[in-house]
Amino acid sequence: MPEQPYEPERAIAGTGMGGAMDLAASEATTLEPAPAGPLGTGPVGKPRSLWSDAWRDLRRNPVFLLCALVIVFLVFVSLWPSAIASGSPLTCDLARSQDGPGPGAPFGYDGQGCNVYTRTVYGARTSVTVGVLATLGVSVLGSVLGGLAGYFGGVWDAILSRITDIFFAIPVVLGGLVLLSVVTSNTVWPVIGFMVLLGWPQISRIARGSVITAKQHDYVQAARALGASDTRILLRHIAPNAVAPVIVVATIALGTYIALEATLSYLGVGLKPPSVSWGIDISAASPYIRNAPHALLWPSGALAVTVLAFIMLGDAVRDALDPKLR
Amino acid sequence: MLLEVRDLHVEFRTRDGVAKAVNGVSYAVDEGETLAVLGESGSGKSVTAQAVMGILDTPPGRITGGQILFEGRDLLRLKEEERRRIRGADMAMIFQDALSALNPVVSVGDQLGEMFVVHRGMSKKDARARAVELMERVRIPGAAQRVRDYPHQFSGGMRQRIMIAMALALEPALVIADEPTTALDVTVQAQVMDLLAELQREYRMGLILITHDLGVVADVADRIAVMYAGRIVESAPVRDLYKAPAHPYTRGLLDSIPRLDQKGQELYAIKGLPPNLMNIPPGCAFHPRCPMAQDVCRTDEPALYAVSPARGSACHFWRECLHGPEQ
Amino acid sequence: MAPSSEPILQVSGLVKHYPLTRGVLFRKQIGAVRAVDGVDFTLGRGETLGVVGESGCGKSTVAKLLCNLERPTAGAIRFKGEDITRLSGRALKAVRRNIQMVFQDPYTSLNPRMTVGDIVGEPYDIHPEAAPKGDRRRRVQELLDVVGLNPEYVNRYPHQFSGGQRQRIGIARGLALRPEVIVADEPVSALDVSVQAQVINLLDRLQSEFDLSYVFIAHDLSIVRHISDRVGVMYLGRIMETGRDAEIYDHPTHPYTQALLSAVPVPDPEARDRRERIILAGDVPSPTNIPSGCRFRTRCWKARERCVVEVPALAVPEAFRGGTGSAVHDSACHFAEELRVVPAQGAAEGPAQGVAEENGSGPG
Repeated sequence: MPEQPYEPERAIAGTGMGGAMDLAASEATTLEPAPAGPLGTGPVGKPRSLWSDAWRDLRRNPVFLLCALVIVFLVFVSLWPSAIASGSPLTCDLARSQDGPGPGAPFGYDGQGCNVYTRTVYGARTSVTVGVLATLGVSVLGSVLGGLAGYFGGVWDAILSRITDIFFAIPVVLGGLVLLSVVTSNTVWPVIGFMVLLGWPQISRIARGSVITAKQHDYVQAARALGASDTRILLRHIAPNAVAPVIVVATIALGTYIALEATLSYLGVGLKPPSVSWGIDISAASPYIRNAPHALLWPSGALAVTVLAFIMLGDAVRDALDPKLR
Repeated sequence: MLLEVRDLHVEFRTRDGVAKAVNGVSYAVDEGETLAVLGESGSGKSVTAQAVMGILDTPPGRITGGQILFEGRDLLRLKEEERRRIRGADMAMIFQDALSALNPVVSVGDQLGEMFVVHRGMSKKDARARAVELMERVRIPGAAQRVRDYPHQFSGGMRQRIMIAMALALEPALVIADEPTTALDVTVQAQVMDLLAELQREYRMGLILITHDLGVVADVADRIAVMYAGRIVESAPVRDLYKAPAHPYTRGLLDSIPRLDQKGQELYAIKGLPPNLMNIPPGCAFHPRCPMAQDVCRTDEPALYAVSPARGSACHFWRECLHGPEQ
Repeated sequence: MAPSSEPILQVSGLVKHYPLTRGVLFRKQIGAVRAVDGVDFTLGRGETLGVVGESGCGKSTVAKLLCNLERPTAGAIRFKGEDITRLSGRALKAVRRNIQMVFQDPYTSLNPRMTVGDIVGEPYDIHPEAAPKGDRRRRVQELLDVVGLNPEYVNRYPHQFSGGQRQRIGIARGLALRPEVIVADEPVSALDVSVQAQVINLLDRLQSEFDLSYVFIAHDLSIVRHISDRVGVMYLGRIMETGRDAEIYDHPTHPYTQALLSAVPVPDPEARDRRERIILAGDVPSPTNIPSGCRFRTRCWKARERCVVEVPALAVPEAFRGGTGSAVHDSACHFAEELRVVPAQGAAEGPAQGVAEENGSGPG
């Protein structure tokens, strides 16, 4: 079985499903080729697994293909923005303030006279990086901690539950104002770090709940009666059955992280100019919504399309992982 | 006749197609009579009862034909408002799972009393007194003290008694009991069935007992209707049916239960699986599993032949089955 | 098979108490659910022991203890002489190959996100020594064939099967490691009547084909009689009466067994008038608060002073000691006497009662 088709799937697993899932995905890829070897030519055809079936399903799902296309494009733009936009996002001409579309500037100019098209293209990098990495961090940390607490229970579970309660009590924006105002570095890392710090309890609570539900099924008892190790039970039996709610929440959270970055930048504690991000541009353009709506429209539109693409992708992956929906 | 169901058809529209749950069911119950409707899961026994009660979920369910005559009136032609007045007062239902059928946040006294407040316009105080009376009637020990308790504070058997009390509160003419004792232990099951039978005699109600348990049927029913794939395949007075079944499905069911009084050899097992309701076999729906099936069974759907004035069998070969090879 | 054959499983003094605690971080024990409260039995090779009882009697906990899914509070489970309750790690894993379980609910006992091939083949992933890698797929298909499923179904998912077929998949998984003992916890109670018979016949056939010993746990007394060589009747965490199937069903001496048997609805309308039902008063007491002395005394119509103070032992009752016949078997009652409660089906017979003194020696 070629390794190649699995790659996008693993990337998706990485964005949305958190740590345990990631491991399960890679386990599927390593286990898969073994039975497909000499016996693959039996009367029944190739043995199939949840992961290969899910991938077959996804390849035929137009929603998935469209979302994947949008995301691939976003990643491409984030890596090589100069490929589709000429000029620098920092070259601005106040004389062109709030001008409409013109040659080389299909989206027009903002209040500072900067090219909106160039800034939207360059802003993708920050927003996609913050969104994807924060979601990844939150999902990995949250599902590992929550999943282990739910599976093993006992004292660690009690302690973790109290810690998540404490984190839930911290208001996000206020926490951001306090914590990020002491940071001087003008990069995405403190923002991502802050989001992971405050975001993991949400995923952790969901992962814990769905692991506890999955744990009570008889098939877990059956695996235990066969002598399966905790690792095997967690990866083969619990993770695939507990991951759906985590995917849903994580993909929705991805949108809110991009928006949160915008909020924090707007409040002046996130990224600061000269950094370029959709959040900075949205906040900068919002006072002039009557005079120059285009300066607000394009970065917000890009943000909305990005968030939608991730949410619908998460939905498609979740459905593909449920054999009952095939 | 108290209740007469005539040629009832019910369909369910699902994502995957149309499931024909009930395909021309007819049965009748008189007052003071117990009709057992026997069938396995998916036979349409509960759906028929829900249609009679008017609690079928529509959509996805849809009644596509037939009549339900209750005291001479066709219920399917009544307005929802009129049906609601009949429900509870003139016909009532007892469910399998009393815990989910009772409201967990309302005390049992209030739930019982509500029947009198809503249908009889009683004051709260009088309704409470009637609730205690009813609880005593179904032999709940310490009824006066327990009337304020909530459903979860009662054991399974006691909750099922409360369900019975609720169903009988307004002395309905017809009670439908859908697997009333399936969730209960044997010893409790016996108590509850005895109570139900006794109250039925006292109030002269018509009782439709929906069950899959041939033992329970033998204990309490007067008549029995056996359902398979949404049709009645055999209908008979209970003693006749157990003595000599006139349909191979009934015969198969009777032969497949182990006996309590002796250790048997290998059990007779009906081969195969119940049909998919979206794809019911043509002809007789039972023919793929039937040991007596002939060519005619694959093409012609058997009518409910009159075996005797009180008996019917939907089998082309009911005579052979009735007198057939000894079990 | 005679109960005296070589025992494969010996259970003695088995106890499982679940502590009841209060408090979130600093837990305080305020009591215990005594789910299993002193159970002894032996299982001979190739034999089927039926365990019957009502819900909450502890029969499912016994199943979990036998399969090492729970650790007992006290007592021993000896598999071929070796106590398996203290094992861990590699030794435990090795023993697990020999004792497998079949679960009640075919809808939750199979992982919905694994194919049938993966489910039945999983035992070989966990115990790679049981089957060489290249041979597994063939073995899985063989197992499916053995339990009466099309071997081509390996790539399907559980939800594509009916309840009976799913139960067959569960049985195939249980057989994969060629265990010697199978613990079946209500294996047919979730199935339709016509499918129940198929699964029972399958279990019967597999027993002789694979030389299996069964512990068959169920609440349906007719099914237990059909499949069992010996039967134990459980009540509130203990076995109240045990013996060969005919001893228990036709010559019960414990009042609880008698009440249980008399309550079973018999599929014979003619028996309606002939049978004498013993209707027990009240409900089963809570396992957190088990009555003193005989635990059945609160619902027993025979209870006297002695039942309050003295726990009856599970042994041949005094009244029958030295006697012969089917009434002479272990029964934990101070006032045991025989009472025939199961009416004969089909052929008309005399009154249900009246054979009580058949064995001469009444209660002292």
